[in-house]
Amino acid sequence: MAEIGRVRIRIPSSIKAGEIVRARVLVIHPMEIVQRKDGKPVDKNYQFINRVVVTYQDKEIAQFETTQSISENPFFTFAFKATEPGVLRVTFLDTHGGKYEGTADIKFS
Amino acid sequence: MPRPLLGVVLCVVVGGFVAGCAKGEAKPSTAPTPPTPWVSRTVPEGRGDIKTLPDGKRQPVRYPGWTTEDFGRFRTYAYDDTRPEVPVAKAPMPAIAGDPKRGRSLFLDRNVGPCTGCHLIQGSDVWPAGNVGPDLSTYGDRNLPAEHTFNVIYDPRHLFPHSIMPPWGSSGVLKPEDIVQIVAFLGTQKGPVPPEKDPERDPTTRAKPVGFGDNLDPTNNPAVLRAEGADLLWSKQGPSGKACADCHASGPLQAMKGVATRYPQFVAKYGRVLSIEDFLSVHTPETTGAVLLEGSADNLDLAMRVKMASNEMPLSLDLTRAENRAALERGKASFYKSVGQRDHACADCHTVENGRGADKFLGGRLLANVERGLTRHFPTWRTSQGDVWDMRKRMQWCMTPLGVNMLAADAVEYAELELYLTSFDQGKPMSVPGIRH
Repeated sequence: MAEIGRVRIRIPSSIKAGEIVRARVLVIHPMEIVQRKDGKPVDKNYQFINRVVVTYQDKEIAQFETTQSISENPFFTFAFKATEPGVLRVTFLDTHGGKYEGTADIKFS
Repeated sequence: MPRPLLGVVLCVVVGGFVAGCAKGEAKPSTAPTPPTPWVSRTVPEGRGDIKTLPDGKRQPVRYPGWTTEDFGRFRTYAYDDTRPEVPVAKAPMPAIAGDPKRGRSLFLDRNVGPCTGCHLIQGSDVWPAGNVGPDLSTYGDRNLPAEHTFNVIYDPRHLFPHSIMPPWGSSGVLKPEDIVQIVAFLGTQKGPVPPEKDPERDPTTRAKPVGFGDNLDPTNNPAVLRAEGADLLWSKQGPSGKACADCHASGPLQAMKGVATRYPQFVAKYGRVLSIEDFLSVHTPETTGAVLLEGSADNLDLAMRVKMASNEMPLSLDLTRAENRAALERGKASFYKSVGQRDHACADCHTVENGRGADKFLGGRLLANVERGLTRHFPTWRTSQGDVWDMRKRMQWCMTPLGVNMLAADAVEYAELELYLTSFDQGKPMSVPGIRH
């Protein structure tokens, strides 16, 4: 797989002011799953994304708490109202202190 | 496994040049090196091997979940298979009474045809029906003699030499007694046909598939991420201590720009046509030492990455070159060669002339038309399989409904067939990886 933490955001190519926009966000991450030894879960600090924060014009608009049940290289999609031009920022935080960020410019056409 | 030594003179071969011979002639030869004989380098389930079971039965080795039925008695695409196609035959109609109910269940039986793959009949349980063959919803109104219908099903080639319907009787799929049941059933298909409630049922009114959106968007096509992962393979040292990146400077997207637009093509060193996948399977062991079996995840990923370097560039096969032209002609002959239990040729389903199947529905599947080009998006993500398939696995998959034992994925027959198919893509932009059903 490609490098860990690379975030890609996909938004519609043309957005009108006040429109409800669906963003698709993909992050490269191993999202470690529980390992078992002799049928018992191995106790360790698994590396997985446990928080996703979405900000729009530096204002937090959504927060997701995620668990290990989410797949490797997870892909999130959510809708928001594009009120003004600005930056959509999606931040992924993982259990090993990793912080991965991606941004998309919301422009009106 | 040690190869048997055929020559009597032992030579030391370094980098393709004869460096020193026991005979004492040290001069490097100017004659072209003879092509290296081709040894299949395919994953075990893609080699077309046949294993013998303890009870002596032959069982083909195929990909997990594929049928293991042996079609060994029917001719294949192999160039050295000189057997004829299923011979045209006729049989007397058994003098038994047919049961329309039994006939209908045979008509719908997926293990036999199913006939509904090509023909529409009445009944809302018939789904999805195809329209490759004529609509038989009112066949009974034509009052054709039962024997005529029997003969058409047994082997249509007696009456319609260019029919693309399989010879169900001659090939042994249906016993004459079964055909009598189907004939009895078809006699019951009389009008008026009740009004259609579901436009999806009738292949003539069914909506055509619209695809799966942008195939190059990583949030849409999982194959893109897999291909990007091949960048790691590119710079990974093989057993010989070398990586792809050591000879091909910079990443695959720069180093391989435009390369894939020329493939499949004849490669003199191997004396045959190679696709990118074939080439990787033989070139990588010779250089980095890494094994990159055709059909393996690494081979697929790297092939996709190499082809992605040519995305949006037009396919530009060198069709003036004599070797490519000859191979293309052989590939074309394969395309029109009737093979297997169903006595089908590729052309039956993928061309439009003479009422053939392209752009029609085979069951719920819209048959692709070769003229629009079938290869420039391969390897492709298959939403129905949740996996990436290259052209060869796609071809091997076609072998099963045809009732043909598949060849090895890297067989020259498939390579030349792929060259013929790709010639329809000439000048069209590449777009790899694709996304399809």
